[in-house]
Amino acid sequence: MLRKSIYIMIFVLLLAAMLLSACSPKASTSGEGFTFGILMVGPYNDHGWSQAHYEAGLYVEEKLGAKMIYIDKVNTADRPGTTPDQLADELVAQGAKLVIFNSDDMKDASTEFAKANPDIKVIMASGDQVWKDGRDYEVMDNMVNLMGKMTYGKMIAGCTAALTSKTGKIGYLGPLINDETRRLAASAFLGAKYCWTEYLGKDAADLSFKVTWIGFWFNIPGVTSDPTQVADDFIASGYDVIISGIDTTEGLAEAKKAAASGQAVWAIPYDFIGSCEEGKEVCLGVPYFNWGPAYVETISSAIDGTWKSNFQWNEPYWANINDLDKTAVGFVKGDALSSGAGEQVDKFIKELADGLNLWVGPLGLQDGTVYLAGGVVATDQQIWYLPQLLEGMEGQSVSQ
Amino acid sequence: MHLLFIKQMNINLNQICKHFGKLQANDHISLLIPGGTIQGILGENGAGKSTLMKILSGFIQADEGEVILDGVQVRIHSPADAIQHGVGMLHQDPLDFPPMRVIDNFVLGQSGGLFPDWKSVVDEFKQLSEQFDFKLRHDAYVDMLTVGERQQLEILRLLWLGAQVIILDEPTTGISALQKQKLFETLKILAGRGKTVIFVSHKLEDVENLCDRVVVLRQGKLVGEQLKPFNTKNLVNMMFGKSIALEESKSHSTDRIAFELRDLSLEEERIQIQNIDLKIQAGEVIGLAGMEGSGQRPFMQACAGFLRPVHGRILVNGRDMTGMNYPAFKRQGVGYMPASRLEEGMIPGLTLSEHFILAGQQEGLFIDHDQWQEVTREKIRDYNIRGKPESPVESLSGGNQQRALLALLQQPLKLVLLEHPTRGLDIESVIYTWGKLKERCCDGAAIIYTSSDLEEILLYSDRILVFFSGKVSAPLSARGTSVAQLGNLIGGKDWARIKTGVGVTA
Amino acid sequence: MMKKRWLNLGFQLSALVLALGFTTLILLATKTDPWQAYKYIIIGSISSLRKFTDVLVSFVPLLLVSSGLLVTFSAGLWNIGVEGQITLGAIATTWVLRLLQDSSLAPGLIIALAMLAGMLGGALWASLAGALKTYGGVNEIFGGLGLNFVATALTLWLIFGPWKRPGIGSMSGTEPFPNTLWLPMISGFRLSLWGLGLGVFFIILIYFLMKGTYFGLRIKAVGKNLKAAYLLGVPTTRYLMLAFILGGALAGLTGAIQVTAVYHRLIPSISSGYGFLGLLVAMLVNFQAIWVAPIALFFAALNIGSIQLPIVLKLDSTLSGVLQGVLVLFVLLMDGVRQMITRRSGGAS
Repeated sequence: MLRKSIYIMIFVLLLAAMLLSACSPKASTSGEGFTFGILMVGPYNDHGWSQAHYEAGLYVEEKLGAKMIYIDKVNTADRPGTTPDQLADELVAQGAKLVIFNSDDMKDASTEFAKANPDIKVIMASGDQVWKDGRDYEVMDNMVNLMGKMTYGKMIAGCTAALTSKTGKIGYLGPLINDETRRLAASAFLGAKYCWTEYLGKDAADLSFKVTWIGFWFNIPGVTSDPTQVADDFIASGYDVIISGIDTTEGLAEAKKAAASGQAVWAIPYDFIGSCEEGKEVCLGVPYFNWGPAYVETISSAIDGTWKSNFQWNEPYWANINDLDKTAVGFVKGDALSSGAGEQVDKFIKELADGLNLWVGPLGLQDGTVYLAGGVVATDQQIWYLPQLLEGMEGQSVSQ
Repeated sequence: MHLLFIKQMNINLNQICKHFGKLQANDHISLLIPGGTIQGILGENGAGKSTLMKILSGFIQADEGEVILDGVQVRIHSPADAIQHGVGMLHQDPLDFPPMRVIDNFVLGQSGGLFPDWKSVVDEFKQLSEQFDFKLRHDAYVDMLTVGERQQLEILRLLWLGAQVIILDEPTTGISALQKQKLFETLKILAGRGKTVIFVSHKLEDVENLCDRVVVLRQGKLVGEQLKPFNTKNLVNMMFGKSIALEESKSHSTDRIAFELRDLSLEEERIQIQNIDLKIQAGEVIGLAGMEGSGQRPFMQACAGFLRPVHGRILVNGRDMTGMNYPAFKRQGVGYMPASRLEEGMIPGLTLSEHFILAGQQEGLFIDHDQWQEVTREKIRDYNIRGKPESPVESLSGGNQQRALLALLQQPLKLVLLEHPTRGLDIESVIYTWGKLKERCCDGAAIIYTSSDLEEILLYSDRILVFFSGKVSAPLSARGTSVAQLGNLIGGKDWARIKTGVGVTA
Repeated sequence: MMKKRWLNLGFQLSALVLALGFTTLILLATKTDPWQAYKYIIIGSISSLRKFTDVLVSFVPLLLVSSGLLVTFSAGLWNIGVEGQITLGAIATTWVLRLLQDSSLAPGLIIALAMLAGMLGGALWASLAGALKTYGGVNEIFGGLGLNFVATALTLWLIFGPWKRPGIGSMSGTEPFPNTLWLPMISGFRLSLWGLGLGVFFIILIYFLMKGTYFGLRIKAVGKNLKAAYLLGVPTTRYLMLAFILGGALAGLTGAIQVTAVYHRLIPSISSGYGFLGLLVAMLVNFQAIWVAPIALFFAALNIGSIQLPIVLKLDSTLSGVLQGVLVLFVLLMDGVRQMITRRSGGAS
């Protein structure tokens, strides 16, 4: 009996090892004995931003054999009197050689920590401190900035919306206003406009794209606008596709209700690969982040000594944007997407993969000034630090 | 229906002892109460009456002694236990749950199912009400009932639960003469149907009017027993250990005007009072008579600056105070003593000494506790309060709280407003209280007070205002008025024969 | 008297035991070794000088806000608006620091002015809730809640609007202030002795204020029986407002400490939930100022110690919050039991 189970165990281990070596992009690196830490702004199981990072951490453990330790709910409300750099110290005390900060909230803290702990490697996800061309550039040899090019995800979302909309009115449920959120809303608009004019052959003037900012990443009663209300307003005034830019799924829920009462309304959620679950019948698809491959690569470089401070704004894996071992950003199509539109979305993705760039002039800003002259291709900085919404979009450009 | 059986229960208390700390509240008390009678338990405040009744009704347990019901010795552990044995008690302050209907309150405390059978309960309620001639509606709300009606409700509930013995602890406190009369009729009916009624009171007159037999407690001991007809002088001797006579009240009225109302009109939610003209002399005592809710309270409140008159002027010592608030009145020497001592008059949780600090003058930032202790001790001596400076006020007995409230009134005062200054006090305390108040009159203060005790009104007032649903009589001279006359006016009769200080009520 | 005090302490201790027992049951239900969990909380809070100073960093704001709440509690007020008062204190402090940071004034003076502004800001916000209650008849719970929302919205608006850092508005808050404008810290630690000193100073001040002064006695009188206090001659409206203002000033100072000693900038949730935690502390101590410091220290230790739980045991660290909440519940429960028992064996009549 005992012997039999030992055989089974050996067999399983062998199989696992074979699978690992077959799949892993960098099978040569072994992370045995290497501990990395993650600080997550929300709960590790939030079905959103933080969970995407937590799962990426599990992915690293699986690929490299390294050990993850983490602290979640790293925010002052949940942990009064603490700062993220102090919590990072705790991770180091438990043996972490590399610390991942997963949110914009922790940007200053990550800088402080990186400077105070030159021996510890730091990944600041979504930050731009070590981007040579960035505005906040500082030399920190032990820091890497990682971000997926969600601009593509949002372009695909915008295209999907335009191909589906009957009224030609697309509503964008925005969080708070900053460079990142403007950039993503504008990407969705560019994708929508392209597919509306090029694939459907319609007039750009007939497409209306409206952004309503609620004021935060999720609903705070009394502080933000109520996203449920905003979504209802969209639907009531004829917007038949709602693209969400916030962390929660009110847009999807309201579209589902409207659809149940016979209206033709759809929605596109955000962030988390499984978000469509809550409203399959109206979900056109979801753009999502996939942090795993970039983490594996960066942590490998820390293990094998090839670490180099840099800023990565990673593209999707164009051969298959949903290959979770390769891509930084993906888009899964939803059940509500018609097969015809689905084919055209695939065609759009193919075009993007072949080098289609929508961030090309002539493009104007909302106040009528020129953003890009005809034929000019936007630089990464121009996109990253987009100062206003684009001409043709409705909605606030800066917070009042 | 078990209620229809005429069953009588004899109560035998044997050598009951109970002490609280050093205080011997009940000292070997033995008492035999035959069924179907009204037994009076008489004694001054703190004589041990309530303690004895609480033991019988299961709220507390005796240290020693036996309770024997119909020859069977029983142990009563809780009020619910007591009811099981057929003993129910009405409290000094009726326990109730104000936002409820009468019938909900009725069902409370019923043992048995989770869901009452409403229809049969309502039927039984009606049947019982009829049987004892109560006029209670089962769907009325409890907080709209008068104190008297609440008592009726409580009695009904106890009967419904199967009580053979009904204990009433000071039930005539806070109810009008008319309600009292009604209550006494009810209790006599109960006794007529074979129930035993135990009536606890410090009011000699009530006991004499109602009871078939009476025992007197003093300082925890049973000092005597009498059967009807009673010898009053003897009872007083037993209660106080000496004989007390009500002294003739002296008037201290002067001809200086201390307080004046000119064409005053008041409005409150339920009552309107119009066009009162009144001049009160320094040292004069004005009694306000009338059933509760006839307008005395808004009148008093207007005199203290709580209620702003809709018309007319108020003058304190010649100064026009119309429209000012209570602190301004207080600065002018108007003092106010409310009826509900622990709700409005005092602050439960604070000590006597702290009350005197609050009522006194601030000197510096920090409180000199030693000095205030001394002040408090003086007041305690002066006003004969049984308590220490550091006693929380809620630990004092009712009479002592009352004396403390009197002591808290500032000195000197131009006008003293008192709501029911002697309610719930034994006769000795009443005499003492009025002695203190008359001292104030000597110092030139005018007094306006309310009371539901007509004898008190006639005895201590110089002039009387009678209130009847917003109408106010012209001041009557106390000397020229009898209890009967006053009673009629309070009940709304004979108003045509007197002048009123008011015009027409709207 | 003495006996009663020991009896009360006994009840409070048994509440603590019950709360621990309940939390242990939860841990067992989630298949965690409770001893491990408690052990790591203790290790995480007092195993080293550095950890203990971290506990003190969390202790100072909690101490300040709790001593302010002691005043409003004594006045019978549920000052739920305390979160907003902390926030407004932080905003006012940030505002003065921004205004003066480029001036030629001595940094020490700037910090002092900024903290004073923080106290004013908190007091002002509290007096709004107070005015709503005393003059507008709006219950302080609802007024306070509303003002909390306004305060949060104001913070977000400032951080992403007028006070956004050059370039990009960030959840990370406004641009951090230079080191010269930080409340001086012990080198190598995050603790500011100045902050600790302020906390200790104010709890002692409140202790004597509530125990020995006319002001304290009147506040208590107002809290226990408004009507009777008014009849006895206490200007009740004024004392209600004063309680709000004093409580608000201490909450504002808490916000000022958060800005000058902990985060060195304005961040979106600058109040860190200290207001609500302070309400728990105030409920636990039941008006006794003497207990504020130990309870606040205990809560702060739970905050810091529980950081170990997700790292070492992969355990949800809300456990500390559960323990704090359950503790309050059991203390209230035991207090009810105590009152029932003392009433049962009640006095003679």
